[in-house]
Amino acid sequence: MAALPRRIIKETQRLMQEPVPGISAVPSDTNARYFHVIVTGPEDSPFEGGLFKLELFLPEDYPMSAPKVRFITKIYHPNIDRLGRICLDILKDKWSPALQIRTVLLSIQALLSAPNPDDPLANDVAELWKVNESEAIRNAKEWTRRYAMDN
Amino acid sequence: MEQFESLLTCCVCLDRYRNPKLLPCQHSFCMEPCMDGLVDYVRRQVKCPECRAEHRIPYQGVQGFPTNVTLQRFLELHVQISGELPDPTAGQVMERCNVCSEKAYCALCAHCDKKVCEDCKAAHMEVLRREISRINNQVRRGLNRLQDILLVVERNTSNLQTNCGAVAGEVDEIHKRLAKALKDRTDFLRNEVDRYLATELRNLTNLKDNLELELGNIQSNCDLADKYMNDDVEWDDTELVDTKEIFLKTVEFLRNFDYEAGDYNRRIRFIMTHDPNQLVMHVASYGELNITQPNAYSGGMQQNQGLTRSKSDHRLATQFRQQEENKGWQENEEPILGGRKFGERRPPPPEKHTRDPYGTTDDYSGYESEHRPARSRFRSRFVKSHLDNDSDSEQTSRSVKAEQKEKEKEKVADTEDATRGPLSGIFRLSDCPRVMQRILDVDSGKKKEKKEPPPPPKPVQPTPQPRRPPPAQRQESEDEISRLKRQNKGAASSQEPERAPARPVEETVNRKPPTPAREASSDGDTDDESVGSLQRNQRKTAPVVPKPAAAPRRPSASEVPTAHRAAARAPSTESSGSTESSGSAVKHTGNERTTPAATNGTTGGAQRVQSRFIGSQRPTPAPAPAEPAHEDSDTSSEEETDSSEESDEEPVTQRKPESQAMARSDIGPLLARSTNARNDAIENKTKETPTQSRYRTRQASQTEEEPAPRYGSSSGGSSYSNRYGNKPREPERELETQSSIDDESKYPTARSRYLALKERRNRLARSKSSHTGFGVADDDDQDDAVSPTTASPTAYLAARYGSGTGGSELSRSRSSHALKSRESSPERPSTGEKDGAALSSWARYLKNKYGSRGKDRDPSSTSSTTSRRLSLGLPLRSANELASSDDDSKNAAGSPISPTAATAAVAGFAAAGSSPRSQYMQKRRLQFSVGSRGSEPGCFTWPRGIAVGPDNTMVVADSSNHRVQVFDSNGIFVKEFGQYGSGEGEFDCLAGVAVNRIGQYIIADRYNHRIQVFDPQGRFLRAFGSQGTGDGKFNYPWGITTDALGFIYVCDKENHRVQVFQSDGTFVGKFGSFGSKLGQLEHPHYIAVSSTNRVLVSDSNNHRIQVFDVNGRVLSSFGEEGSEDGQFKFPRGVAVDDQGYIVVADSGNNRIQIFHPDGNFLRAFGSWGSGDGEFKEYKYFKMNLQQVVIPMFTQQYLIYAYIT
Repeated sequence: MAALPRRIIKETQRLMQEPVPGISAVPSDTNARYFHVIVTGPEDSPFEGGLFKLELFLPEDYPMSAPKVRFITKIYHPNIDRLGRICLDILKDKWSPALQIRTVLLSIQALLSAPNPDDPLANDVAELWKVNESEAIRNAKEWTRRYAMDN
Repeated sequence: MEQFESLLTCCVCLDRYRNPKLLPCQHSFCMEPCMDGLVDYVRRQVKCPECRAEHRIPYQGVQGFPTNVTLQRFLELHVQISGELPDPTAGQVMERCNVCSEKAYCALCAHCDKKVCEDCKAAHMEVLRREISRINNQVRRGLNRLQDILLVVERNTSNLQTNCGAVAGEVDEIHKRLAKALKDRTDFLRNEVDRYLATELRNLTNLKDNLELELGNIQSNCDLADKYMNDDVEWDDTELVDTKEIFLKTVEFLRNFDYEAGDYNRRIRFIMTHDPNQLVMHVASYGELNITQPNAYSGGMQQNQGLTRSKSDHRLATQFRQQEENKGWQENEEPILGGRKFGERRPPPPEKHTRDPYGTTDDYSGYESEHRPARSRFRSRFVKSHLDNDSDSEQTSRSVKAEQKEKEKEKVADTEDATRGPLSGIFRLSDCPRVMQRILDVDSGKKKEKKEPPPPPKPVQPTPQPRRPPPAQRQESEDEISRLKRQNKGAASSQEPERAPARPVEETVNRKPPTPAREASSDGDTDDESVGSLQRNQRKTAPVVPKPAAAPRRPSASEVPTAHRAAARAPSTESSGSTESSGSAVKHTGNERTTPAATNGTTGGAQRVQSRFIGSQRPTPAPAPAEPAHEDSDTSSEEETDSSEESDEEPVTQRKPESQAMARSDIGPLLARSTNARNDAIENKTKETPTQSRYRTRQASQTEEEPAPRYGSSSGGSSYSNRYGNKPREPERELETQSSIDDESKYPTARSRYLALKERRNRLARSKSSHTGFGVADDDDQDDAVSPTTASPTAYLAARYGSGTGGSELSRSRSSHALKSRESSPERPSTGEKDGAALSSWARYLKNKYGSRGKDRDPSSTSSTTSRRLSLGLPLRSANELASSDDDSKNAAGSPISPTAATAAVAGFAAAGSSPRSQYMQKRRLQFSVGSRGSEPGCFTWPRGIAVGPDNTMVVADSSNHRVQVFDSNGIFVKEFGQYGSGEGEFDCLAGVAVNRIGQYIIADRYNHRIQVFDPQGRFLRAFGSQGTGDGKFNYPWGITTDALGFIYVCDKENHRVQVFQSDGTFVGKFGSFGSKLGQLEHPHYIAVSSTNRVLVSDSNNHRIQVFDVNGRVLSSFGEEGSEDGQFKFPRGVAVDDQGYIVVADSGNNRIQIFHPDGNFLRAFGSWGSGDGEFKEYKYFKMNLQQVVIPMFTQQYLIYAYIT
């Protein structure tokens, strides 16, 4: 594989030097384009207190194309499906090379605090979120407790 | 300051702005690579990463955006304030790296002598370092040779002394003996002389006394008588008588006494027994010293050979050999490092000389010629032979300098030569100022700026020393090689322009011949006509395809891709619907074919689609290009009726208009777009040949050779050779339709469609060639019976049937060399029995498996009877056709079940070759190419593996897109599967791909260090292996293949071995270990198994192909490093056809080589400067040639290139 672009090196360095609060992203030992990410559930959200593992991969033409991000920890969220795939515009068509790993992860954290059931990926979850939000939140808390807290 | 910094940082590359360009939205980005990467070439727009505003790109590209001068001033200001070093790349222009083809700031790499980006350069340096350490090891290993020699020399010294001492003693001894003998003899002789003298002297003295006495007596007597014998005295008578008696006696005495005076001068003489002269000569040279005079330097030379022998460093060896041949081993003539000083840049390549021989000159060289280009100041005045091939100007200038050189040489010689090793000219690296500096830097810890020690202004240069370690030597050899390379290249490039214009002509010539043949045959082909109308329907589906591609032109915002797809799908289903109505038999294939084509066309295949339909002169004017998609079905149905009418009259010509009709709808807009997209990719190659000639289409389906339509002037810059030529497809379709008629009855359900297709193709070929129009009802058995008796025109056939007729059906189906090589085939029962004890368990397994089959079992016979018969029938038929049509026979020969497939692709050309040797010699023209760079379906990013699946599909491992793509035999995208990841069915930079007999895909998942198996639908079945060095573990598996029994062979690249598995993943065996000896491997890349069960491995870093038997015993190896015929540089892909001919992708030489089954070179094509003119597609060879594939059905070599 070709050497790492400077941008990735810079981003990685900065992530190490000035970590974003509540987010940790560590590149894999074997593949510098693959990051092990841990995002804490944001306060005042049903995911508070959870530690969510994600994987993030920078494709070859990064930053011209978006990083690939996926939740590894199971999460009850209308925009995240059972496989951990995330419905987030900046990861798709709204990607811009000006975005960075840190901004992407911040956006994902923000998505946790502001679920958007109108643009669902997990339909059942979104449905419940719309119909019975309190129940949905209860579910989310339950899932968070069950999957994201026992480490 | 922090904020100031961030203001000066480009948000895309997170680096300091370089050449910031200002977008209309007031955001700035570096021009390269940031802005470049943002460009949407299709829509000629750039989307601001900051605000997502979309801007139209100026006519002259992104550099047309205004430069943000303010920002630039700030940058300069910042540099001044902070004192930071200016950007070293400032002012440079990005170029395409000649290795990875990425755009970057390139610099000349001394390793490969190309302009490459830093990454590649770093990689190359790493390679160099590794090589140095490797060679260092070799040297270390070889060093004991020197020590041995030293010991020998010491021993010899003492031996010599003893020897000389002994000889001297001997000489003394002889001398003593001789002297004694001489003295003795001399003494003896002298004594004799003395003795003799004494005796004689005594005698003479006696005589003298006596005589004196006598004389006195007689005198007195006489006196007395005179005085007294007168009358005076009285004598008595007696007295007188006595006196008288006395006197008488005296008289008598006097009378009688005689003295033999003799010659006392020569009384004694000295006579030599030998001629004294000779004797003296003999003595003078009484002995010689026989000194065996060994060559003074033999020690040194042996050392060279020793190195050669000791390990692979052919470079060294050839280097030395060359030197020895050219000018003997003379000091100073060929200074090490080619006369450069250590670490200095090499002299520029020869082309440069020619280009600006009097260019920028040397500031330092007072005495050196000003004729030299700038770089040459680093050359020392010793340089001679390297420049032999340089341009004229260089030569003349050199001759002028000759005398100067002589003088200088003396000066320099005393200083420099004293410092060099007296034998090899190697100096001690640590004595080199540059090296010292380097080491000093490291030691003192301060990473000083690399300071070029300025070339000394005077020739006298106090440098290096006697004992020099071979790394330097190696440098030298490297240098030599690269220089040769450069020279070659130079020669090639200088020829190129001449050749280029010639090529189009040749090509047209080449392509012409098939036409009449085809027309004739298709005219004579009744089947063809009879199914004409059906064909029309089917073919008509194609016209639909390109239209959806027009969609992207519409500015449909961000949804474009999906929209395309939808648009594309709709018409295609419609069209298939219409097909359905016209003939149910056709439906199946029709559907399959069109749908992929449609999707393809919209996305990655857009350009292809477009260019494919640009072509022959068409009679009807083209409708407006921007025909809305929804009209498609209408148009196509019109076309359908048109064409079917026409088809009744004239099957050949009628095809043309129709194909143009397909094209017309979207030529214009697509053309523009695709040219855009392409221009960038092939910018620097455009100068080559007139595009049109380059992009001919080859008949992909090989059955009927129609000269491909040339993409005339209208296609302008379109550079993709498009394999989708409409012509090529037609015969295919004919076949399908034609067969679909009788298929139902003939192959009810039992046979696969694929078999049917095969059958059809053969039939077509047959009927064409014989013009007898074999009935549809012909079947294989009939053919079998006929063909052996048919007079076969070629030797190949004779051989084949000569040995085959007596045997069973099975044996007949084998090729002649298969039969031949069966003796050596290890699994053969007879031999197998013999060495059974020695065989590995794996071999025994094989034996058991084969054992029940009997002697004649064919490796490929494991499949069903039908397929076996088919495989039988085909070659036979090909025999029939051989005389009449080469092209046809290509299709036929070959067993469809052999899963031989090789490998990965990067370059997209295909060449046709077929069984008989003559055909190999002829066929290697481009068939088609697939893909372009990208991640859409039909595009590739580093395709590394290619294989042929059932139905002649083409399976490509699209490595950096982490997926497998499947194309049909015309190169139309069928499907893809896989994505990035390490889970089931996910890949990480997969490499090799193979398709086994039952259509399963076997994939070497490289970075996941495992093999994955998928079913024919692309669903994950199983995976096996993990990273490691044990059995069944992998370290970057690359090439993969299967044999007729379904065993899986994997090139375990970093473990330098080949592993073999059963089809279920059970480890069976392994062979090869790291090294360069026979049977050892260094980075084996790809692998192929022949129908005779010989395993061919491309032993890449040893620059050879090794042939093993299935037990892993090495049978032979061929090739060595080099660029001559039969030599390789990092051979990658290897493939073998069912005749055993071996095709190798010689990646470092950018060519394909074909070898006889025994490894003898047959031919090569595609090399730079091969001068054969048939290949205009030079650019294809610039890419990493990785793989070759031979679809067994078609007998064509398809070597896919990938254009980056």
